[in-house]
Amino acid sequence: MGINAGYFIRESFVSFRRNWVMSLGAVITIYLSLLLVGASVGSSVVVNNIVESVEDKVSIRIFLKDGAATEDVDALQAALLADDRVKEVNYTTKEEALEEFKATMEDSPEIVDQLEVNPLPASLDVDLNDPQDVMDVVATIKANETFPNVADKPEEPEKSLKYGQQIVNQLFAFTRILRTIGVAFIAMLAAISLIFINNSIRLAIYARRKEIGIMRLVGASNWFIRTPFLMEGVLQSLIGAVLALGTLGVVTVYVMPVVREQLPFLPFSISSTATIQISLILVVSGMIIGAVGSAFALRRYLRV
Amino acid sequence: MISMRNVGKRYVPDKPPALVDVNVEIEQGEFVFLVGHSGSGKSTFIKLMLREILPTTGSINVAGQDLIKMRNWKVPYLRRNIGCVFQDFKLLPNKTTYENVAFALEVIGRSKHVIRTQVPEVLRLVGLEDKIESYPDELSGGEQQRVSIARAFVNRPPLLLADEPTGNLDPATSLGIMSLLSRINKTGTTVLIATHDREMVDSMRKRVIALEGGRIIRDQSRGVYGYGD
Repeated sequence: MGINAGYFIRESFVSFRRNWVMSLGAVITIYLSLLLVGASVGSSVVVNNIVESVEDKVSIRIFLKDGAATEDVDALQAALLADDRVKEVNYTTKEEALEEFKATMEDSPEIVDQLEVNPLPASLDVDLNDPQDVMDVVATIKANETFPNVADKPEEPEKSLKYGQQIVNQLFAFTRILRTIGVAFIAMLAAISLIFINNSIRLAIYARRKEIGIMRLVGASNWFIRTPFLMEGVLQSLIGAVLALGTLGVVTVYVMPVVREQLPFLPFSISSTATIQISLILVVSGMIIGAVGSAFALRRYLRV
Repeated sequence: MISMRNVGKRYVPDKPPALVDVNVEIEQGEFVFLVGHSGSGKSTFIKLMLREILPTTGSINVAGQDLIKMRNWKVPYLRRNIGCVFQDFKLLPNKTTYENVAFALEVIGRSKHVIRTQVPEVLRLVGLEDKIESYPDELSGGEQQRVSIARAFVNRPPLLLADEPTGNLDPATSLGIMSLLSRINKTGTTVLIATHDREMVDSMRKRVIALEGGRIIRDQSRGVYGYGD
């Protein structure tokens, strides 16, 4: 098998040039499908980052009614601190809550100025070790016997509590939908790419049927006849993959900063490990599509 | 070199068979004509030897290998032992004489060194050393057939099959091709020629196997074409 690999590479490039229209079609479909793969993987990375950052901010805030007995508040705080799922519990007074509110409203101070009394309740802010525990801890708080005594609205426990789980759940639902749609699109495009590669290899086989006939006649081995076509399919999809990578690279470098500026509160970023993973996914899946597509064509159109 | 025992081939079940009970022994170094009308089974005979098809019955042995038991992936290696020449030359139009012949060595993985020494040698043998850089459309029919013989022989196969090698050529050119094939035969290569060419067969006085309706009706050494005499 000591034949120069140069032969196969040369042959696949020559063939690529010879029916470049079909090859271009195959390249473009693969490009688009891989672009979509990359975009959906990339966006799910970004969304996951956002979800995680929201989760990090997940804390439970217990609103306290005005004039709640200090010993009851202390008791609740102590009970929560005893729970090992809880990292820390901070007490926010009415005045601190107002300060916080003023800080978020600094663009329109007149709203704050109109306030005659401080309408904001004091609160206990519960930080958790693991965001996953939010629902459990919320249940524990609701079950605590001092909770009704101090809660801002004891008859409606849900309104005396504020926690980020709702947002997180919505985000997760959103990413699920995004992912399902993405997978459906990718599957479709992958099928189309397969058909395109299949077709372009079929044409390549047809264009070279005379050569193939002579190769069989003089005893070229089966793999020798097949390899250039297989490589041509892989070459087409590799070009598609590289184009898709390039496009995604341009998007990350030029578009992401703009988005980040527009939405400064969301952490739009892709780590370099994620970037490498995405690149690997694109290149490998591209090569698989190329190899499978041309293998199909070889099985159907090249009897050796 | 070639041994067929009770070989029969039927393409379509209810139609008459293409070959019936063919028994042939061809020894190393023989020069054999295979004659017969169109449809007499000549092409089937050739295809069986190249193992493009398998017989319905019987056994075939070519160059020491049992074609019935042979695995598909080994067929290319059988064909390296059989040089093939056809009526329509089967040359690649975008390759020069040299490249056409070199191609046959290239695709079976011969080294550049082997190609560089063997191709000019075989082109000298067929008398085309001054047409090395010509493309097939710049060559006459006889010259093209010489290229195709060079390609078939460049690998020095022990067996050379020619299917109507002079079918497209005028008598004078045909004679040249026949004497070339005869010269190749003198190097010890077995040569089997399927042909219609009555004058050629009659003038060569070699072994003749005649087929009719898929049966061997005559097999004589130093024979003649023989139909309608």
